Amino acid sequence: MPPPALTTVRARALFAPLDEGGRAETVARRLAKAIRLGLLLDGERLPAESHLAGQFGVSTVTLREALASLRQMGLVETRRGRRGGSFVRAPQEPQSARLVRPLHLLSIHELRDMGDHRAAVAGAAAKLAAERALPPDVAALREYAGRLRGAATLTERRRADARIHIEIAAAAQSPRLTRAEMDLWSEVGDLVWLPVPDDVVTAITGEHEALIDAIENRDAEQARRAAEQHVLAETGRLIEVRLGLCEP
Amino acid sequence: MTSQNELAASLLAGISGQVEQVLGSVRQVGEAMVAIVAAARAAGRAPRRGDLAALRPLVAEVLRRHQGFAAGAGVVLAPDVLADAPLCIEWWWGRQGLEKLEVDLDPESAEFYDYTTLEWYREPQRTGEHSVAGPYVDYICTHEYTFTVSAPVVCAGRFAGVAAADILAEQVERMVLPGLSMLGRPAVLASGDGRVIASNTASILPGMVLSSRDADTGLRPVPGLAAVQPGHPRTALPWTLHSQG
Repeated sequence: MPPPALTTVRARALFAPLDEGGRAETVARRLAKAIRLGLLLDGERLPAESHLAGQFGVSTVTLREALASLRQMGLVETRRGRRGGSFVRAPQEPQSARLVRPLHLLSIHELRDMGDHRAAVAGAAAKLAAERALPPDVAALREYAGRLRGAATLTERRRADARIHIEIAAAAQSPRLTRAEMDLWSEVGDLVWLPVPDDVVTAITGEHEALIDAIENRDAEQARRAAEQHVLAETGRLIEVRLGLCEP
Repeated sequence: MTSQNELAASLLAGISGQVEQVLGSVRQVGEAMVAIVAAARAAGRAPRRGDLAALRPLVAEVLRRHQGFAAGAGVVLAPDVLADAPLCIEWWWGRQGLEKLEVDLDPESAEFYDYTTLEWYREPQRTGEHSVAGPYVDYICTHEYTFTVSAPVVCAGRFAGVAAADILAEQVERMVLPGLSMLGRPAVLASGDGRVIASNTASILPGMVLSSRDADTGLRPVPGLAAVQPGHPRTALPWTLHSQG
């Protein structure tokens, strides 16, 4: 099989212009993000180094540096030989310890701020979706809510959950809010579905359904409130887990 | 009929003409697909995904022809038409250079892109006629506010998929806004399901849905040319103009 090209969605997400400084680190961070979001799939061969370097607009030396740090993080594996190359190693059904690790790197302040940002985007998207969604948009939301309810693994849950929020932003008729949700989910997707007890899973699916009900009923304020409360509850749970990491 | 109404009706006819030209190109791509499928079958085999690569030059030409208007085009196949792929999208897009769209068509995958449920696929399949879907936020390909114009492809009497093209909402607005602004009163262009495509007033914005609840906007549908000029062909578009007064 020839090495796969990246899909346009993934290429767009990956190859937006880089900031100056710490380029290897930035490339590594962006690739890690794409792997965690599932934009790059487990076992997938990355494009050739020279090609990838060109797409990021960095030198091959910088790119190799980035790949080396991804190897250290266990997110990329490099094999030699004719069928060699760099392959994605996505955490499929990661261990809870591994999931909690990135949480350790975030301060309570950062988690709260991330929650505030998500609440702002999700709240605005939900309000506009309630005003602008047509029945087929609502049907699509119900479909993903059903998938979330039926999801058996963390990965499935994370993807269905992300899809619901991205679809709400699309139903708001806003490409910008849709991109904002996609970006936010690439950051938090790993975190919000840390192993949670069954009653919390039920609570989360219930929150989604209440939110979709409000959108269907064209109740803009209720939709905004439901989205904000959903995100804040999620953020609260994360902060509790994070605080738990400090306990002796 | 007032001259204002005439102006409005010809505005609608103008944008319809533009979209119909894209639809003409879409049908041309569909015919090319029919020929490819027929040639494979005449050779005693089922068509394969690789056969469809032959569409690329035609799609490139179509996108050149509608440069700045159509953002992407291609064919999307009905299940099990091809021997080697149950589902298939052969789609090219891009402002500079042609990019091939790749999406996940594995039904077992969490990222499965099930196009058979989408309006631009389902409607031509259901009605046997073309469809103009949108505007909608296309987060799969263009990442923009987009329309999809599609037409059924029928091979040996059976629905074999659709040929289609994406049109950016921004381009439609660019085309109709000068005309809307000339009307001298609040007016909007809306899709068949009442979604505002372009508006000449800040009080009604693109993306909003016109409904009975918004009766206070005072907007009334403006009859199209077909309704007021006997013998004028109906347009291919489900879009309508609404204006005050």
